[in-house]
Amino acid sequence: MTIKEIKEILELFNSTDVAELEVQRGDNRVRLRRASAEVNQVVMAAPVAAAPAPAAPAAPAAATKTPAPAPAPEENTTLVRSPIVGTYYDAPSPGAPSFVKVGDSVEQGQVLCIVESMKLMNEIEAEFAGTIVAKLMENGRPVEYGEALFSVKPR
Amino acid sequence: MFEKILIANRGEIALRVICACKELGIRTVAVYSEADRHSLHARFADEAICIGPAKSARSYLDIPSVISAAEITNADAIHPGYGFLSENADFAEVCETSGLTFIGPRPEIIRKMGMKQLARTAMKEGGVPILPGSEGILQSLEEALELGEQIGYPVMIKASAGGGGRGMRVVRNAEELGPLMAQAQAEAAAAFSNGDLYMEKLVENPRHIEFQVLADHHGNVEVLGERECSLQRRHQKLIEESPSVAVNDELRQRISKALQVALGNIGYTNAGTVEFLMGADGQLHFIEVNARIQVEHPVTEMVTGVDLVKAQIRIANGENLNNILPGRNLKLRGHAIECRINAEHPVTFVPSPGNITGLNLPGGAGIRVDTAAYQGGVIPPYYDSLVGKLIAHGADRTEAIARMKRALDMFVVEGIYTSIPLHQKLLNHPDFVAGNIDTGFIQRHGFMPEKK
Repeated sequence: MTIKEIKEILELFNSTDVAELEVQRGDNRVRLRRASAEVNQVVMAAPVAAAPAPAAPAAPAAATKTPAPAPAPEENTTLVRSPIVGTYYDAPSPGAPSFVKVGDSVEQGQVLCIVESMKLMNEIEAEFAGTIVAKLMENGRPVEYGEALFSVKPR
Repeated sequence: MFEKILIANRGEIALRVICACKELGIRTVAVYSEADRHSLHARFADEAICIGPAKSARSYLDIPSVISAAEITNADAIHPGYGFLSENADFAEVCETSGLTFIGPRPEIIRKMGMKQLARTAMKEGGVPILPGSEGILQSLEEALELGEQIGYPVMIKASAGGGGRGMRVVRNAEELGPLMAQAQAEAAAAFSNGDLYMEKLVENPRHIEFQVLADHHGNVEVLGERECSLQRRHQKLIEESPSVAVNDELRQRISKALQVALGNIGYTNAGTVEFLMGADGQLHFIEVNARIQVEHPVTEMVTGVDLVKAQIRIANGENLNNILPGRNLKLRGHAIECRINAEHPVTFVPSPGNITGLNLPGGAGIRVDTAAYQGGVIPPYYDSLVGKLIAHGADRTEAIARMKRALDMFVVEGIYTSIPLHQKLLNHPDFVAGNIDTGFIQRHGFMPEKK
């Protein structure tokens, strides 16, 4: 996303009374939230907690009314991205427990998930030791090259 | 018909395939590298999947990534465009075993056409004129020496698995033959894991003339006239046109008939181009088959009125050529010329990737522009330097040239160097205007930069 595009999004945002707006293009993501005193918060490529809305399962595109506890773009977190195109699995087999959950401490080389590509199950390993801050992908979803899978705070 | 086609390519040809799919009511999936995130093919396809980093070996050439993208998007066919995986028989095979239709010839045909000596033999059997040369692979230096004597020097030694000039040598006399054969063999073995060589008579400064074909899965082969692509720089075509001023109706008919027989025997399907060289004698000699859609296909589309990319898709879907080309009575209408506008310095030919800060595309009667460029867009340094193809169609060659000249004047690209000034000079050259062109033209008329 270019600065010009972000400016346009800001203008659009300011011309409405929408409380919150999130736009994603590729792995650039911009989230705008109206706050009384604060300036509009612009977060690039910030991880979004996959918090399942407890209420009505709204259309995925619809903006959630309850501002998800902003995954404070915590400093020192690193995104683990998919090295290949494929289908994301967070457990070794259907029904099995997930490889990792939020809050888990992981070691370098530990398997975080599987990305299936051409019938091959590719285990994605942690490249460094750390703590899982957020899981960004839903089980069974297709992932692109470079798409963020986990937010991890290195140790 | 297919419901969703994945386009395993980028740039203008990916956009060209998207156009064809939209017109046929087929959904499209674009694949793109990180360098092409903001490119038009990713924007105009119904879905776009990032398949890897900028380096094409890890994105556009990476078979598992492309197939995987087709699987996660439920595409049912893949169009390979030109370059990249378009003539990769292994890729065509993987598509097949993955339950995806490869929009191109069958893998074994791609493989056969890639073995130049096999293609040469198959064409000869069908009655297509070939250059004097070896019957098959050269078995020994003695055989080569004897053959050289028989057909007369200069001759070409070529790698059967070859391409891109590798494993190729011009031999001017018998003394050179031994050492050059050894060099070519080593080069071919290293580049293609196959050191097989064959010999052909060398045609000096030939015209490059190629025939466009379409063949269906029901045994029908149609030849859609020829293109002349003699204006080349280091085997890179700069200007193409159809029809060729050097091909008369009798020659066109004769070659077309022979190609129908030969390609029918081979079992060729989908679109293809059969390349010939024309020597000073005015005769055509087969050199090779390109088993894909080609960059310069629009000139044929302009003079025949046939949408070749849509035809490719319909053929892959099993349709009969008699439906795709109703009546099958093709007529060449007028004359078309294409200029390949490259991002390179018009005098030094140094590549000029970068940001396009300003762009005006010409239009008006008889002008077509196939491009993925836009103002604010970028020509990345990782891929070929094609900015776009400017095509002019006129009632005759004179009108086509006039239209091309005024369109070049109205084609503005700012931020990068382009070959537009070179094209303007070529279009104004008296020999080009008179149709006196051959593959030595650019060199002979001083358009090549001086070597330091």
